[in-house]
Amino acid sequence: MTGRISAWAYAAGVLLVTGCGIAAAMALRPGFAATVRQVTGLEPARIAAPDSFYTVRVAPLFDRHCAGCHGARAAKGQLRLDSFAAVWRGGRHGDVLGKDGELYRRITLPQSDEKAMPPDGKPPLSKDELTVIRLWLADGARGDVPAATVKDAPRLVLPVTIPQMNPQDVARQRAPLADELARLQKRYPGLIAYESLASADLQVNAMLAGKRFGDADLQALLPLAARIVRLDLSGTAVTDAAPLSGLRAVTHLRLAGTGLTGAVAPALDGMAALKVLTVTGTNIAPESLAGLRRRGVTIHGEGDDGA
Amino acid sequence: MAPDREADTKPAAILVWDAPTRLFHWSLVALVFVSWLSADQGYMTVHLLSGLTLLALLLFRLAWGFFGSTTARFGDFLHAPPRVLRYLRGRGQRLHAGHNPAGGAMVMVLIAVLLAQAVTGLFATDSLHFTGPLALLVSEDASLRLTTLHGTIFNLILLLVWLHVVAVGFYLLVKGDNLIRPMVTGRKPASHVPDGLRLVFTHPVIAVLLLAVSIALVTALFFWGTT
Repeated sequence: MTGRISAWAYAAGVLLVTGCGIAAAMALRPGFAATVRQVTGLEPARIAAPDSFYTVRVAPLFDRHCAGCHGARAAKGQLRLDSFAAVWRGGRHGDVLGKDGELYRRITLPQSDEKAMPPDGKPPLSKDELTVIRLWLADGARGDVPAATVKDAPRLVLPVTIPQMNPQDVARQRAPLADELARLQKRYPGLIAYESLASADLQVNAMLAGKRFGDADLQALLPLAARIVRLDLSGTAVTDAAPLSGLRAVTHLRLAGTGLTGAVAPALDGMAALKVLTVTGTNIAPESLAGLRRRGVTIHGEGDDGA
Repeated sequence: MAPDREADTKPAAILVWDAPTRLFHWSLVALVFVSWLSADQGYMTVHLLSGLTLLALLLFRLAWGFFGSTTARFGDFLHAPPRVLRYLRGRGQRLHAGHNPAGGAMVMVLIAVLLAQAVTGLFATDSLHFTGPLALLVSEDASLRLTTLHGTIFNLILLLVWLHVVAVGFYLLVKGDNLIRPMVTGRKPASHVPDGLRLVFTHPVIAVLLLAVSIALVTALFFWGTT
């Protein structure tokens, strides 16, 4: 049997010991200490400005190369790099910033080093990307330095992502018009083709048929109208009565060298998807295309009657 | 499984905890510590082994809760919440050979949380150098979510361990009831045990058999998951 103390004395002792424990944990674990300081408001929340060098140049690199393992889904080493506050909070072993800090050290290790980041054969950061991070760290890893003021930074190159082609999806999209297309390709050899290997959309190059291609031929193509996105009628025999308004998917239309006049304008107005129109060498008056212009359609060759 | 041995009930100190329960308790303490330390230091093979051992021990404890000695059985210390609250308010029976109602609730919560921790660990991955034995049975996204949960549950375990230690300290220093020594020696002062209580102890061989079955189950689970 042991001696007794009062419940209040015990509670005070528990508070004291727990406080000492938390203080010891904070001393041993800087990452934990930073979390405690931020949660308790002892340290203001860190927010980067929208036009800052961090937001514009550094954060996209972290998103692309790091946030998969150091983000909301997973925080390896208790380190998150998906927000400015988290970056400053650091990981299990505390601060990772500073120009000689753990972050820069790990991303500049040779790929053969097992501690190199990104790991496991993932593409390393390029020389320019490393420079961006080095400049940011050297300037104090701040979130308030405008991107435009960092003159030594490599030129910003936005990544271009090319969507992966899915052959099954493409085949499925092509299937409904496949028979009709085969029939018309046989009738108009070389004039109708898919826009690309990865597309079910069509382009029609009637220019190759010249004056042999007229309104009736355009009418014959209407079963494919839902998929025709590019149509070149340059130098063909189409007239103002051509069924252009039925081609609602066409985004690019060339009418150069045809005998069309302003009377075709209502049909053109009916082409809802039209974005680019070429009327070089036609008799279409610019004023008849005012409606298209208001819609933002780019018109080439207005007032040009000979090119 | 029938209990097969009865305890002496008359001496100044009475045997209340059987050896398997005590070994389970202190092994659990050691394994939780080893699991934390190994994960913290990146010794993931050690972490895997300690986690699997922990899981086997928990399975054993679940079985021991049905087939073990009187004070180890769930039926002895598992009470409805109103009774636990009544106990915490200082009412109801004060002397218990085994866990009191509040302690029993704590044991159940700890077992449940540790079991959740061990199971989520089976599916965990760090996407780099470690993959739990069952991680490949679920999607990468699910595995990462369970890994995050594994980390969150650990914080809960820390909280429960703190609560457990504070409660044991309260009994020791405020109420003068040393709960630690009986968990080491197995014996409690007779004055801390209800009069006329008859405790029944299950033979240790049964415990060894149950532990062997638990280890076999976990081993089978490991090989099933990894092959």
